[in-house]
Amino acid sequence: MAQIVEWIANIIIVIGLIFMTLGVFGVYRFKDFFSRILVSAKVDTVGFITIMLGLMMKHGFDFFTGKLLLVLALYVITNPIATHAITRSAHISGYRIKKER
Amino acid sequence: MSFDEVVLIIVAGLSVFGLGRVLIGPTVWDRMIGFTLFSSKVIVMAVLIGMIIDRSFMVDVGLIYGVLGFIGTIMISRFIERRGDI
Repeated sequence: MAQIVEWIANIIIVIGLIFMTLGVFGVYRFKDFFSRILVSAKVDTVGFITIMLGLMMKHGFDFFTGKLLLVLALYVITNPIATHAITRSAHISGYRIKKER
Repeated sequence: MSFDEVVLIIVAGLSVFGLGRVLIGPTVWDRMIGFTLFSSKVIVMAVLIGMIIDRSFMVDVGLIYGVLGFIGTIMISRFIERRGDI
């Protein structure tokens, strides 16, 4: 039974890694700032959540997993706010998308 | 080379790419995206190290880094938005 749970947790961690790689790739692929930050905020957060869930499953139920949950909750709350603050400062400072003619 | 160490090395490689955006980024906000990307990878790496050496204080390191990174990002974006007078 423990072997199966370990195996599932490893698969979840690999999926989280794939999401993280896509997040980093997305930051380089898009040419404009707003599309770049959209990808990096969303996909990277999903990657983070998936990896953390995989680690939590792998480590079973104890004090360590409680701390992992705290880190996960913190990141899920703060990352959207941080990316919103960045985008807001960009928009207010007059950064606009250049229309492709 | 257990599974956790392989994941740690992959995440370390990804964080370097995150920093690449900090170097290239034309605008200052691109650099801030690179920084938030890098800090999320650092949190994952801290937790993974905590898993590998089986100590729970590394998770606290990741937590504190996350909080400080968030505060830093908020203050920098406010600084840029108000052009210097916070």
